[in-house]
Amino acid sequence: MPPALDTSHPARPRPGGRQPTSDGWRPSLATLAVLLAPAIVMYLGFTAWPVVRTFYNSVHLVGPGGDTEFVGLRNFSDVLTADPNFWTAVRNTAIFTVVGTTIDVFGGLLLALCLFTRVPFVRSLRVIWFLPVLMSYVVVGVIWVWIYDYDWGVVNLVLRAIGLGSLETAWLSNPSTALWAVMGTHLWKWLGFNMIVFLAALHALPSEVLGAAELDNCGWLAKLVYIIIPMLRPTLVNLTVLSFVGKMMIFDLVWIMTQGGPLWATETVSTYVYKRAFDWNTFDLGYPSAIAVLWFLIIIAFVVAMSLLLRQRDRLEF
Amino acid sequence: MGLAFTIRRACFGACVGVLAGGGLVPPAHAEDVTITVWSHEADEPAKVVFRNKAAHDLEQAHPGLHVKLTWYEKDGLYTALRTALAAGRGPDVFYLEPDQLHQYVSAHYIMPLDDLVNWNAIYPWAREVWQENGKTWGIPQEVNLNVMFYNKDWMKKLGVSVPADGQFSQSAFLDLVKKARAAGMAPISQGVGDRPYPGAYILGEALLHKLGKDDYAKLWTGKLSFQDPRVVAALTWVKQLVDAGAYPKDFSTMKLGESFYYFYSKPGAALFPMGSFYSGRAFAPPDKGGQPADFPLGIMLFPAMDGAACNRCETSGIGSSFVINAATKHPKEAAEFLDAMSTPQMTDMWIDTVYEPAAMKTTTQGFSGPHADYLNALMASQKGVEYFTGMPLDIMQNGQCKDAFGQVLNSAFPAGLLTVDRAVTMMNAACFGH
Repeated sequence: MPPALDTSHPARPRPGGRQPTSDGWRPSLATLAVLLAPAIVMYLGFTAWPVVRTFYNSVHLVGPGGDTEFVGLRNFSDVLTADPNFWTAVRNTAIFTVVGTTIDVFGGLLLALCLFTRVPFVRSLRVIWFLPVLMSYVVVGVIWVWIYDYDWGVVNLVLRAIGLGSLETAWLSNPSTALWAVMGTHLWKWLGFNMIVFLAALHALPSEVLGAAELDNCGWLAKLVYIIIPMLRPTLVNLTVLSFVGKMMIFDLVWIMTQGGPLWATETVSTYVYKRAFDWNTFDLGYPSAIAVLWFLIIIAFVVAMSLLLRQRDRLEF
Repeated sequence: MGLAFTIRRACFGACVGVLAGGGLVPPAHAEDVTITVWSHEADEPAKVVFRNKAAHDLEQAHPGLHVKLTWYEKDGLYTALRTALAAGRGPDVFYLEPDQLHQYVSAHYIMPLDDLVNWNAIYPWAREVWQENGKTWGIPQEVNLNVMFYNKDWMKKLGVSVPADGQFSQSAFLDLVKKARAAGMAPISQGVGDRPYPGAYILGEALLHKLGKDDYAKLWTGKLSFQDPRVVAALTWVKQLVDAGAYPKDFSTMKLGESFYYFYSKPGAALFPMGSFYSGRAFAPPDKGGQPADFPLGIMLFPAMDGAACNRCETSGIGSSFVINAATKHPKEAAEFLDAMSTPQMTDMWIDTVYEPAAMKTTTQGFSGPHADYLNALMASQKGVEYFTGMPLDIMQNGQCKDAFGQVLNSAFPAGLLTVDRAVTMMNAACFGH
């Protein structure tokens, strides 16, 4: 017979400031402070302070050695009214984000459904599709630059082999294909991540509901549209927001593959900020900070709008 | 005890002083000093060995003085410098190239070296490149010449002989490109995937020939329009080369290092316009990416233009250079390191191992080492040449103009993505009048 729990005496403070908790002890404030301090200091130093400083810089002309001159909103007005490169970068980033997010989320769902329905070689496919997620952007970027190579890249070799040699092109050197080529690489890397998240969500669906639908003679497509997707809605929204934010800030892959070229065809806002900060023969960090702040506010606005629009108003019960 | 210790220390100091004065031990620093050096060119083994040796020699000569070298690639170095210097930190000595001079001087990040280093070791014309506001801010090391390398065997296969003066006419050069393409050879190896300048080597030299030195300088400083008929003529000729298939299809993504391999190994190319720093990579062992031991390397001048102002003008520039951080606490020691890299012995080592022209004076006559023939051929090719000092990116000070140069003249135009008119419009919008 297990020992009975004595609940007749409420928990009382113990000497030394340690408080009892469900498992016996609660750390004192001092202990908490000591344990949390490293994380808080790191957060303040490497996240909060840079953000605050970027906002500060955005309304200043930042000279060498950190000398600043207040310029109000001049940097912002210059960005918005007198900088065609910025608008090129915005256009590219918008295309990358909207198209990329759509394919990323629905592609991930499609792959997850394939695995969920136990297509042949399901174990191998799960590993193969998820593997790119584990690779670094540098490796992925270099591999795909080779794949897109005009002379000996796999894409053109395949096109030639199947008699579509007329379609071959220098994928990353052609302004009309470069952005799509980079997007293809990005999707190749991230589809597996969305797939795994969707797969976990699919396995968490109540089997009773799916079983009941089958008993009602509900077809596969109807089950997907009217039952599975509505029940996956929270996952769908979260992945959409995550994917959207990630693509709005895309930098590393573009930098590795094209550095924003050719002819600014793959210039994104992040690569442009970097160039303005480090490649433009000026030490002024005010102007690039203004672009960064502006973009930050735009991302926040979109995330809030998406969360409001896509939130589930009626709670599903099952 | 305190007094005894002081006396013992004084005696020891006196002994060391006597010995040092008599030349028996190297001069020691009163306390250990470490100077930090940030250098580019991590991937050029001969330069790494060269600078490490200078540091080692200095440490041997000055016990207590330590040199800590950190190696970077150029982009990473410049990014690190900008953030470190803005934060009031940064190394005592760092690598810099002349295109950065104006902004680093304006920012007060580097100190004048006129009274700090031994200028007798440096050629005056090389020193001039680093002068601004009447002061000298950097110590030059490497001299870059724009060179047209070629594969001698492939020229023979094409049945083409290089003219005796080493310079094709613009039409003969165009024919050469067409012949190479027709024979299934890659005419020119070039890649701009990680650099904002190699794609404009041929155009730059064509413009220099056509305009002459003064107007050429005006073009890059926004004082001459790209609509000038001579500029348009040079662009039109380059466009003909492009349309003839002069450049590789993947030229936009090919990296500088890859373009070397493309030229001398796989698939091979007839021509390779490149800086004379070619030797830094090409003369590495073949298993480390260097050219094959028996590679038939030839050197010619860039083509002569019709109606040119100066067909024997060639661009030379100062490449590798070093400066001293204005905030350093050890300017004297930092300058000693710069001097240690500029001694006649080190200059000889530079020429014998790096195989590049140096800004430092040398004591030896003639060249030695396994690539002496190359250096002799390089020097022979320069007979009668008039130099214009400064690469386009060294001269431009406008960020937008530099960006346009990288995207338009370096990349999109030679890739065949732009017409001459469009290139002129884009360059004028970014550069002219700014």
